[in-house]
Amino acid sequence: MSDEGNLISTGLRIVNRHKRYILWFWLLNLTLAEFGTAAFRNQAHAVLDHSLFADKLLHGFDLSVFVELLSRPETGSVAGSTMPAMYFAILFLVASLLLMPGVLEGYTSEGRPSREEFFRACGRNLWRFVRLLLFFAIVAGPITGVLFAIKAGLAKLADKSTNEMTPFYTSVLTSLVIFFILTAIRIWFDLAQVDVVVRDQSAVRKSVAAGLRYAGRHPFRMLTAYSGITLVGLLVLVTGVWIWHSLIRPNSVVGALLVSQVMLILWLWARFWQRAAAAAYYLRESVVPVPVLAAPEPAPVREPAAPLVPPAPEGAAPA
Amino acid sequence: MALRRAFLLLSAVLILPILGYCQAAATSKGAHPATASLIPETTSAINSSTPLSQRVVAYNIEGRYDPKMHSLDGSEILTYHNLTGQPLDRFPFHLYLNAFQPKATWIREAKAMGTRDVTYEKWEDKDYGSDEIKSFEVVGMGDLTSKLEYIQPDDGNKDDKTVVQIVLPRAVAPGESIQFKIKFHDQFPETQARSGWKRDFILGGQWFPKVGVWWNGAWNCHQYHATTEFFADFGVYDVSLTLPQYEVVGASGVLVNTVKNADGTQTVTYHGDDIHDFAWTASPRYKVGEDTFQGTMGPVQLRLLMQPAHWGQEARHVKILKQTLEHFERWYGPYPYKTLTLVDPEPDSAAGGMEYPTFITGDSTWWMPDGVYLPELVVEHEFGHQYWYGMVATNEFEDAWLDEGVNSYTECKVMDSVFSPKTSFLSQFGITVGNREVQRIQFIGVADLDPLARKAYEYASFNSYGGVTYGKTASVLLTLEMVIGEDTVQKALRTYFMRYRFTHPTKEDFLKTIEEVSGKDLRWYFNQAVYGTQVFDYEVMRISSDPVNWYKKDFKEKKGETVYDSRVRIHRKGDFVFPVEIEVKFDNGEKVREQWDGQDRWVRFTYRKKAKIESVEVDPDHKINLDRDNFNNSRTADPRAAATRKLANYWNFLSQTFAQFLTWWLV
Repeated sequence: MSDEGNLISTGLRIVNRHKRYILWFWLLNLTLAEFGTAAFRNQAHAVLDHSLFADKLLHGFDLSVFVELLSRPETGSVAGSTMPAMYFAILFLVASLLLMPGVLEGYTSEGRPSREEFFRACGRNLWRFVRLLLFFAIVAGPITGVLFAIKAGLAKLADKSTNEMTPFYTSVLTSLVIFFILTAIRIWFDLAQVDVVVRDQSAVRKSVAAGLRYAGRHPFRMLTAYSGITLVGLLVLVTGVWIWHSLIRPNSVVGALLVSQVMLILWLWARFWQRAAAAAYYLRESVVPVPVLAAPEPAPVREPAAPLVPPAPEGAAPA
Repeated sequence: MALRRAFLLLSAVLILPILGYCQAAATSKGAHPATASLIPETTSAINSSTPLSQRVVAYNIEGRYDPKMHSLDGSEILTYHNLTGQPLDRFPFHLYLNAFQPKATWIREAKAMGTRDVTYEKWEDKDYGSDEIKSFEVVGMGDLTSKLEYIQPDDGNKDDKTVVQIVLPRAVAPGESIQFKIKFHDQFPETQARSGWKRDFILGGQWFPKVGVWWNGAWNCHQYHATTEFFADFGVYDVSLTLPQYEVVGASGVLVNTVKNADGTQTVTYHGDDIHDFAWTASPRYKVGEDTFQGTMGPVQLRLLMQPAHWGQEARHVKILKQTLEHFERWYGPYPYKTLTLVDPEPDSAAGGMEYPTFITGDSTWWMPDGVYLPELVVEHEFGHQYWYGMVATNEFEDAWLDEGVNSYTECKVMDSVFSPKTSFLSQFGITVGNREVQRIQFIGVADLDPLARKAYEYASFNSYGGVTYGKTASVLLTLEMVIGEDTVQKALRTYFMRYRFTHPTKEDFLKTIEEVSGKDLRWYFNQAVYGTQVFDYEVMRISSDPVNWYKKDFKEKKGETVYDSRVRIHRKGDFVFPVEIEVKFDNGEKVREQWDGQDRWVRFTYRKKAKIESVEVDPDHKINLDRDNFNNSRTADPRAAATRKLANYWNFLSQTFAQFLTWWLV
């Protein structure tokens, strides 16, 4: 099996060993979304629950009825319905930031960290992860800005073409390039996050440098693995939408709920799979070369959960 | 026989010089007597051996288009036949392309109210358009260029140059003809209001000086407004366009001739009979499709100019075009022209969805899925304008609802007939929209702003113009079907078409025709729906079912045995008075239908039955399209939360997806 294959399968093994993380994250997202959509739900209840006209939304989906619902004064502005959902989505992001160190603790440990160990890792690394996010924003923000500016410029140029397909192909190609560049940045910072957790690194800038160094060693290996997993995520999405559309009756609320939530779980699973692959890659790449004849040194034990392979801190002997 | 021939010869010798003298005398004075009208009686562009309209104008235009500069140099000989019954010494002309200048009324209004195409957040050179008269000569009266004067009859905006007038030194007598020789220079803007260029595409619409219409005893020649279209007299058009040979050209009327010139240009000549405008288009990349529709008056040549990337949709376009033609001929009357050109315009241009006589533009994209009927809808709608604008040539400045609105109604009828009423706009991934709902949605947000009978440029906003003119008119006529019957509305429209084709009818002509055909006085309806801004909104205000013996100590409810006193209260929330039907459904399956004239503000219905009310619905057959709020038209006794749960599930899913997407990239 190729290195990418190893990475993907190792990542898959890790993520499957810690399925509960995915379930917890999913549950958290679902709960927050319930709060975020409460305003819309209440407004919809008031309008729809006693109206026969609502049948047009239940037995099929008449878009004009939905538009009419949104345009009613009782429903309020669209922003009134969407903004709470947006806030709770940001809350999920913050919660993910808070809980991710615990997840990475689990992914880099041989055993299953206890709840206490999980939250200790979260607490210990919270501020570090916030700083990492800031580093990410400093790096990815301008690059994303430049990339989208280039995309807009190319789109403008392509728009002058007399071939109608040129703008489309230009958009697809530039989007793919942006995807790969942003994925590479994401890999870099995913590795930096692993580095922070594994090395208990307070100096986040050193982890940022380490992440870049590790990512740069085999740039295409990780990119291929991440892209492959993203493709799986996309397939899940497409298949899910197809099942939802083809096999679920329009009025089956439970069926639609199940399919949609399974899709979201699998999508979450794809992202965690990427993280597990990053953890596996990091641990593999951070092994200190050991002379064949030399006596094996005892691995530094980090209590309570030890990483699979300990890294050697830069410029210093292992503790 | 010989004697008779001699007599004829003698007559000719005596009479011809006299006629010649009269002609010369008239010409020397700049006008032609009625007996010598210069308007041709040609019929080569129509399936009729005689002219179909009272021809007032004849345009003979030659133009040379420069695709690099997007400009055109043209010369026009306009012959006007004075059929007004009175002498005319003043003639106003439209110069529509002058609308696309920053201080023009069109741009001012567009900036303030919005348009469907351009926002004008920033003025750009490419937005500029102009129609400049280089010289203006009246045959027999000489060069009157210096006498031209811009006028602003609607708003007094001195910077608006969309109407110019000439006062002649001598009036044109009733029955006389007059000829204007005009040289002009057009600068086309990047497409705005369905005229102009985009990349190497050009749509030449409203591109030549065009005389106003003498209507209801006065000149009717409005400035060009952001919400108005056009108004012109019927006549004959002979147009020659010179442009590069690589251009594929399409235009109103029939193609008469194509000459390849030595300088790499071609001159194409078109002829149109009984039309009131002329548009053309050119692009090097059109793919041409041709077909024929066998109309009741003769064959109609269908010519499609498609974008290469849309060529796969050619069959779709032909199919809906033929279906529409077939429906219109069957329902409303014959299509008399020999041609119809359908242009699939340049992508992202503001040229899609436009009508000119025998020439329409569609609207599509390369990825248009089969269940999205936008191309079909646009083709149907624009073809419909061949009837409601093209032949029944109402005043689009003042009575926009008579062309756009009546056309939106017939669009609903045809689209519902071709597709299904519930999916005649969209049927994709289980999501559906019917065309009549699209019409309704357009106006319910602006239901009380403007009446239909309002000049197009006096509407409160662009949304109101669009919603009321298109959506409300269609809804008014769909709801009228409930009052006089669907067949009667169709019959009335046929009568209206056959009676007023090739004329300029008024709103009252239309309304009186409906009343005449239906045999009913419909003023109560028209006064509210056409002349008024009354809002139509009925609601089921309250329903209740209480056991008759509720007070008894041993009382227990038993289904099928307990007797209930049930009450229903219907409320006329809006100020539009209309008789409605109400269906009351009981939990034993029994249904009761009630009638209410809607005169009072509310009405109560009471029942004593061994059953409770399950639901009540106003307009149970869903014939009323005017009601602003369909949710309150019904009420169920018990809540049914399934629809809300379904929507909440969608909303949750989208919200969770967004949260996961955000987190995927940022954490």
